[in-house]
Amino acid sequence: MRTVLRASLRTHTRRYISAAVAVVIGVSFIVVTSLLSDATRAGLVAGVEVPYRGADVVVTDVDADEAARIVDRAERDGDSAAVLGWTPQKVRVGDRLFEDRTDVGGIAADPDLRWQLLREGRLPDGPGEVVADVNAVKGRDVAIGDSVEIGTGRSSVEATLVGLVDTPSASIGAQLYLTWPDLRGLDSDLWVDSVAYAGPGSSSLAGTLPAGATVQPRDEFVEDRQAELTKEVNVLAILLLVFAAIALFVSVLVIANTFSILFAQRARDFALLRCVGATRRQILRSVRVEAVALGIVSATLGLLVGTGLGYGLVALAKGALPSGSMAFPTPSLRWYAGALVVGVLVTVVAAWLPTRRVVRINPLAALRPDDSTSVHTGAGRLRVLLGVAAVAVGVGLLALSISASNAVAMVLGGVTSFSGVLLFGPVLVPALIRAVGGLLGRVAGAPLRLATENAVRNPRRTAATTASLLVGVTLTTAVLVGLASSRSAVNEDLDRDHPVDLTLTGTDAPLAADVVDRVQAVPGVSSAVALDGAVGSISGAGRMPLVAPSGTDGVTRGAPGMATPRPGDIWLPDDLLDGLSSGGRVTVRVDGRSAELRVRGGSGWGEAAVVAPTTLARLTTTPATWAVWVRADDGADAEDLGGDLDAVAQSADADLVNSLRERSWVTLQLDILTATVVTLLGIAVVIALIGIGNTLGLSVLERGRENALLRALGLTRRQLRATLAAEALLLSVVATVLGTVIGVAFAWVAVQALVQRAVDAAPVVLPWGQLAAVIVVAGVAGLVSALLPARRAARVTPAAGLSLD
Amino acid sequence: MTTPTLAASARDLTRVYGHGDTAVHALRGVDLDLPAGRFTAIMGPSGSGKSTLMHCLAGLDTPTSGTVTVAGRALQDMDDTALTVFRREHVGFVFQSFNLLPMLTAGQNVLLPLELAGRRVDAELRARYDLVVDVLGIRDRLGHRPSELSGGQQQRVAIARALVSQPDIVFADEPTGNLDSETSAEVLGFLRRSVRELGQTVVMVTHETDAAAYADDVVVITDGLAADVRPVVAEPAR
Repeated sequence: MRTVLRASLRTHTRRYISAAVAVVIGVSFIVVTSLLSDATRAGLVAGVEVPYRGADVVVTDVDADEAARIVDRAERDGDSAAVLGWTPQKVRVGDRLFEDRTDVGGIAADPDLRWQLLREGRLPDGPGEVVADVNAVKGRDVAIGDSVEIGTGRSSVEATLVGLVDTPSASIGAQLYLTWPDLRGLDSDLWVDSVAYAGPGSSSLAGTLPAGATVQPRDEFVEDRQAELTKEVNVLAILLLVFAAIALFVSVLVIANTFSILFAQRARDFALLRCVGATRRQILRSVRVEAVALGIVSATLGLLVGTGLGYGLVALAKGALPSGSMAFPTPSLRWYAGALVVGVLVTVVAAWLPTRRVVRINPLAALRPDDSTSVHTGAGRLRVLLGVAAVAVGVGLLALSISASNAVAMVLGGVTSFSGVLLFGPVLVPALIRAVGGLLGRVAGAPLRLATENAVRNPRRTAATTASLLVGVTLTTAVLVGLASSRSAVNEDLDRDHPVDLTLTGTDAPLAADVVDRVQAVPGVSSAVALDGAVGSISGAGRMPLVAPSGTDGVTRGAPGMATPRPGDIWLPDDLLDGLSSGGRVTVRVDGRSAELRVRGGSGWGEAAVVAPTTLARLTTTPATWAVWVRADDGADAEDLGGDLDAVAQSADADLVNSLRERSWVTLQLDILTATVVTLLGIAVVIALIGIGNTLGLSVLERGRENALLRALGLTRRQLRATLAAEALLLSVVATVLGTVIGVAFAWVAVQALVQRAVDAAPVVLPWGQLAAVIVVAGVAGLVSALLPARRAARVTPAAGLSLD
Repeated sequence: MTTPTLAASARDLTRVYGHGDTAVHALRGVDLDLPAGRFTAIMGPSGSGKSTLMHCLAGLDTPTSGTVTVAGRALQDMDDTALTVFRREHVGFVFQSFNLLPMLTAGQNVLLPLELAGRRVDAELRARYDLVVDVLGIRDRLGHRPSELSGGQQQRVAIARALVSQPDIVFADEPTGNLDSETSAEVLGFLRRSVRELGQTVVMVTHETDAAAYADDVVVITDGLAADVRPVVAEPAR
């Protein structure tokens, strides 16, 4: 049998190419995941210990006030302490806006606790001096000696840039570093990661801290921190592996189908071997060894491809983000061995069922006249029954998941009902193809009708070919619809929390009359409205401008009137609410008049209180323009617009609040998430399309005589190519449309079961453009997959084709 | 259009496969005239080049040199698409085996050449279809797929398909090669009836003397060279 095995490997290698490609993609996916997560881990963990090098103990789980008390205590006792944390602040360099939100961290007073690496200039000696991260100012018009304004309003800090530093630890870095007195002076929520403490007082520190704070010896803390970062990367790696698993599952379908077709074509060879004395066991062993050989070769190739890709991606990422947290990875033996084993296993498992069918071949089959094309496979009754049962159970579970908001029931229901659809495929898919082909057949000619017949002549093969694409498309559309729906829910939240894109509010005096016109003239501004207001003093919150929105419906987002308080209400910015609570009452005084108003907290309109126009009219007879509310054009760049309007605000002595930035950040996150998931699922779709091309290619071989007959009877080359293209198109479009329908249904269930719990009445939003794009892309890809088989089929002359055996 | 007295003719026809040392000269300068309205058999042993000759005459293969004229048209200069269109308009085929597409019914197989040509089945064509279906006695088999038909029935469906478009010439390549003698006689009888009753021109390639006996004329080909067309002397005994 060894001669036979070697000869058949040699002869059939080309036909295994697509199966090999599927394994290569799956295995290299795993290897890339391992390399990327290793690079990320190495980058994140590198230098974690540096900020704590001079410390004796490290305090965590403290807030800014507690951290301040620790620093005070260290000063009093002659110890030293450094607060590691950051706060997002608006930063101006000279008279230009540097960034709306820049992370500002601290630099210790004690040289032993200073961990930033000086690159240029010097480190700060005390308050009024600041250093910047060298990567953060790269390419920006910023130089040592520039004056820097950090923060807004009364609490802002003016400092001189004295040096540029580099950050050895990716997990704790900021863009600017102030000394502690300045950092503390910023009116902000300082997020404290940890406090490094050095000195004799370290041992007694724990007793002085509030409950909940953690004190750890330095080495123990560093170890914990490294483990924590590693765990985060591991979670990411596991998420990536889920996608690798999907790709491998699709590979199994493609490989199983390839083997089924190849073995069907070789049935006569096997029967002949049986005739000349090969036992069933010998044949079975021979084809299984074939599968193992294919698995080993392609998995090894996958390791090589994955290694190349992984290192390439890391190099690209390092090039694009020099300050990013990536180090060069070290290949892990365990991952490589695992990927190799998975690749071989996937191939062998996929080949198992087809090889079992091989040995059922009757030796007499070899003696029958050539009818190799009538390898008709139908859907067994058991299979159909199982499919229907699985769909019923799955739908039941999905219904349960909606009523109980249960994610486990949802996943189980999804998997069960989808398996049911796959089992039911040999009935469902050919029926759909017939329907579509029949519909189009009226306008198209013979090629389409032939293609329809060809596509459905072998229901099980058709179903298996489309199943792989079905998996990828179902998941992709489910994710697209799910994300579009959560996007609309998120947008509603954004509309409520940030009704105005940008606001300019007078700081000490009303705004000049021309401000609104100057704002209107800024590119990217869709409309701007000046708001009447007055300065009032509010019991418990101090003095601030009161503004009354009127005629602002064209400017605010969300439902009309969303940004207009009811008479008798006053909206205060959340961060100025302090001791007041939403729903409580305050007295508001303006020039001797006063009103009792109910408080509601909110945000998104700057440092002012918002009241109804009637309320303002009761409080003052001489309103002045205190604020300008701005609506940005759709697609306006939040940073550019913010910078331009900041210039206007500066000269008009106004404060700018940029909510558009928040909005575009959230939108960007969703865009990135969508793109990432679609790309990862795209790998599975690519494998599926290779599978379609492969099935077609093998069918072309199988139908060599048939195609020659058609050519003899008058089918032109072009018509033959069109027939094959139409077959691929029918397969891919039917799979895609079916997948889209199922995907949308799954997304609907997911929104009902999960999102609606978080956001009331979240509607299912269908991203029509994206769904159409999925179908078009799959259709075009289907056509592309038919290119090679069609060319090969059309090249054969009728005379040559007729003499084929 | 007047019917040419010659259905097909070849002049100095050669066909070489491969080149150099491995070149095979299948045809070495064949001159041949096939009269219209006759049943001609091309005979010869295996490897004599008779199938190649038929392929070249039918526009399935392109000769290396020489000319082929079928239905008054020169084939040797046509490109693939022109040849294909020519075939579906002027030529009918019956092959030894694998004549029918497995996924189509017998009726669909018969109509296939018309469908490929994009012709609408009008009253005239429908009448022709009914005529050949009845002559060949396959009316009750039209809804069956090839796998449900016997070998003889399959060949009758193939003959019906070759006749339905009233081609100028029908080529039959070993049409009885896979059949038992009784069914062979039946199929050959149908081919002869299509000449006698329907006025078709049929050219049959065969290596069986019994089959050739059904023809009006016989061309013997040996080693890539054709002997003259000579009439069949005796009618077969049966």
